[in-house]
Amino acid sequence: MEPMSEIHYQRLTRARARSTFAVAFQSRASLWLGPDHLLCVDSSGYSETYKRFYFRDIQAVTMQESKRRTVWNVILAVPVVVCLAGLLTSLSSPPKNTAVVIVWLICSVIFLAPFLINNIFGTTCVCHLRTAVQIEELPSLCRVRKTRRVLEKIRSLIIAAQGGELSAEAVSTRMRDWAAPSAGVSPAGTVVNDPNLPPGPVS
Amino acid sequence: MEGVFNQPEFAPCPACGVPLQVEVFPALFREIRSGGSGEAIMVEGESSCFYHPQKKAVLPCDGCGRFLCALCDCPLNGRHFCPACLETGQTKGKIKNLENQRTLYDGIALALAVYPMIIFYFTIFTAPMALFVAIRYWKAPQSILRRTKIRFVAAIIISLLQIAGWITLFVFLATRHGTHV
Repeated sequence: MEPMSEIHYQRLTRARARSTFAVAFQSRASLWLGPDHLLCVDSSGYSETYKRFYFRDIQAVTMQESKRRTVWNVILAVPVVVCLAGLLTSLSSPPKNTAVVIVWLICSVIFLAPFLINNIFGTTCVCHLRTAVQIEELPSLCRVRKTRRVLEKIRSLIIAAQGGELSAEAVSTRMRDWAAPSAGVSPAGTVVNDPNLPPGPVS
Repeated sequence: MEGVFNQPEFAPCPACGVPLQVEVFPALFREIRSGGSGEAIMVEGESSCFYHPQKKAVLPCDGCGRFLCALCDCPLNGRHFCPACLETGQTKGKIKNLENQRTLYDGIALALAVYPMIIFYFTIFTAPMALFVAIRYWKAPQSILRRTKIRFVAAIIISLLQIAGWITLFVFLATRHGTHV
């Protein structure tokens, strides 16, 4: 069994912790583009775990807007306001104490920088990738702008691998075809009493 | 729910109202092919599967050359393997596309060299360990992603400096003790 040649990957996203508040001792996930697949790398610094998603197997990518940016804004806004108020007070009060001003300035920068970065990167989201056998979260795709950029890059590759593109109308039609028999609705509009199907409304 | 599929912008989820964008690809509607069960041997003398002697062989394994029936055939990127070769390929990392984990020895060596410096006394044990790991695993497979040997080099330099520091300290203490005697 000869080993396959080394695959060259192109970075799609930087590594990001799987949990929001995890800084250390937590695996960090990043996304890489291979010749015929996406590679999700979970790295702890001492070992790496790989998950491959072949373009031919990717069924859907979902992006859901999240409130993480708002939460961080609220968390950071309080110290930012306090530090800026302290800085302004120390600057405006008559006996200027340089040391106090510098301390307030450093504190302001410490809290203002992540506050600004959080807003510059844009809206946050949660991204999932679906194949026939799994639904996998992609933690490194956590900003809408970044996710759209990555989607733009991989969309054409997935379409090329699967031999066609689906329009919104085509998806809707197929979904309707799918849903009609599985919802247990007979052509006459009466609910079929199938114990293996979830209850569904009659359209 | 239909309004959220393959739309250029977010659309509210009809169930919960959360802004949602779903990109759907043809694979979602593709029928899942069921695997072959293997055809039974009808004629005497026909090639049989190595694992199922009562079933007809359809192709040889690309790894070991054993004859396989349709049930034992595991196709992977245009090649055909038997389950045993597939497992060996994964555990020993011989099939790159199946490899799902690697140990980063360079990261371990660097961590062994750097972190114990917080409590310096530990470096008497960890510096030789870091040096050993860096030399022992210098040629071991690194990350699947491109990675230089800079961590190994840094680990070797830092651990050598630590060892040199300890040797200097011991020599200094020994000579000082000798002059006092």
